[in-house]
Amino acid sequence: MTTTLPSTTLGKERRHSGRRRRIGPTLALTVISLFTVAPLLAVVVLALSPEDAPTLPHAIPGSLTLDNITRIFDVGEFPLWLWNSFVYSAVSVVVILLTASMAAYALVRKRFPGRNALLWSIVATLMVPMQATLIPTFILVSRMEGVNTLWGLTLPTLANAQAVFLIRQFVRDLPDEIFDAARIDGAGEWRTFVQILLPLIRPILATLAIFVFLWHWNDLLWPLVVGQTDEARTLTVGLATLNTETVSTAGIMSAALVSFIPCLVIFMVLQRHIVAGIAAGGIKG
Amino acid sequence: MSVQTLPSKASDARPSRLRTTPTDANGQDARRRQRRREAVTGILFVLPTLVIFGVFKFLPVLGAGAMSLTQYRLNGDVTFLGTDNYTRLFDDPHFWESLGATGAYVVLFVPLIIVVSLAGAVLLNKLVRFSGTFRAVLFVPYLSSFVMAGIVWSWIFDLDGPLNTALGGLGLGPVPFLSGDQWLVLGSLALVSVWKGFGYSMLVFLAGLKAQPAEVHEAARIDGASNWQAFRHVTLPLLKPVLFFVLVIETIVGFQVFDTIYVMTGGGPNRASYSLIYFLYDQGFKFLDFGYAAAAGMVLFAVVLILSLIQRRFVEGKDAQ
Repeated sequence: MTTTLPSTTLGKERRHSGRRRRIGPTLALTVISLFTVAPLLAVVVLALSPEDAPTLPHAIPGSLTLDNITRIFDVGEFPLWLWNSFVYSAVSVVVILLTASMAAYALVRKRFPGRNALLWSIVATLMVPMQATLIPTFILVSRMEGVNTLWGLTLPTLANAQAVFLIRQFVRDLPDEIFDAARIDGAGEWRTFVQILLPLIRPILATLAIFVFLWHWNDLLWPLVVGQTDEARTLTVGLATLNTETVSTAGIMSAALVSFIPCLVIFMVLQRHIVAGIAAGGIKG
Repeated sequence: MSVQTLPSKASDARPSRLRTTPTDANGQDARRRQRRREAVTGILFVLPTLVIFGVFKFLPVLGAGAMSLTQYRLNGDVTFLGTDNYTRLFDDPHFWESLGATGAYVVLFVPLIIVVSLAGAVLLNKLVRFSGTFRAVLFVPYLSSFVMAGIVWSWIFDLDGPLNTALGGLGLGPVPFLSGDQWLVLGSLALVSVWKGFGYSMLVFLAGLKAQPAEVHEAARIDGASNWQAFRHVTLPLLKPVLFFVLVIETIVGFQVFDTIYVMTGGGPNRASYSLIYFLYDQGFKFLDFGYAAAAGMVLFAVVLILSLIQRRFVEGKDAQ
């Protein structure tokens, strides 16, 4: 992509064989694509199949309907689950991005006692899996009367070491002159942060926004543990419990489809930031 | 001598000091004030993170170790047990079963996801047209939750599902993908996680491939290396650091398997898919044996820590900054 090869006779030969060789990869990728897409297509078809009509895996339905989707909103506390998932994810994205950016700014640009100790403590927690602290975190939240509440669900997940670490890397690579110029212009600290720093780190913020959203929206274990009533569930937890109850396949697939759509929309809008974020090698799946 | 030099130094310093005292003192004062202001600003900016991490990260990390040494009841009664939870853990056949099932799952999952994601990346890297489209299509399952993946694949693996219908058409099966013997069930679960997760590692590999110098591949081709030879002796060795990164990350992910099991098998049949996290979840939230569950959590922590340290050592030169 970056280099054009010198056009020699050898190059001509190579280009020919190169074109032929690309048919193989295209075919192979088509097969892998079927593996990735077929289950998702099945969800869509099953969710949109009319009731009692023959459908997958034995037949392809003759017509499609949105009835199952509208009906799923009457099952259990489905609208509430959707709302809980939305709050859990949206609040987390906003708060994590804001607090982590503030921390990154201070950790890079300001000298204060305990700076390095704080940075390395945060980085060290990257090595502690969430499941290892599941029990003490739950006890803590239950002592604070936070079980079955939205804040009890959200607050503990706002400590995101990856966000702090990645934004810090990004801020560290910004040139000093930008901040010197801001100071000479007499900009206050908060204004420097909001008007100078935040716009500059937009790429990493966009990448993190997608991943933080996906992590929270699709999260199971923590919401399962901390939200024990029907009203306190997130959509993912609700979906997991629906499966074990007596809801039709069409109903379950409709719920699954509804849960998937926001992720798909975000992906389509911000796709390049996902690729860039992973290519930078910073974000762990 | 020192007595002599000291006054002379003092006298040397005096004129200059006299000359600069007002501005220097001011300057020092101003600098000190500025430094203090900088520290205050820094602390204010870091304060929200400090509070959140202090309460919800550092405290639980310390609490995990402490709790694993106690019997903890929901009403707050704490009994110090020393290492009793750990000795009990190592005598508990269910714990060893869960560790065995998790290990077997990791053995199936990790090679499979590496092969699939590496193959996807190599193929994408060869494409000139539609590379972006294929990349997006292959990545889409990563956007779904493990719960959704579990629901769809439960349907696919069902005895009356599409897979067994197709096998039946060939005169085979039905295959009890989720209710058969342990390796079959764990393999089916691994396949679901590969479907949902390989898009991420594929993009990591793809970035690694794109970073390889074109000249090296050019040289291999001029030397008459076949596709496979070039891949085996040029591409793969150059990709080793990336391969190692993915290997460690996916091994950690494998040891944490829970969601798909919760949705698809409930740990069964007969504990065939009873993973370490499922064990922890049951002990904590079914039997409310919090100290014991915390001890199981420490085992996972030990596993992840060892893997992380190996990785850190391996990529030290690249990451240490």
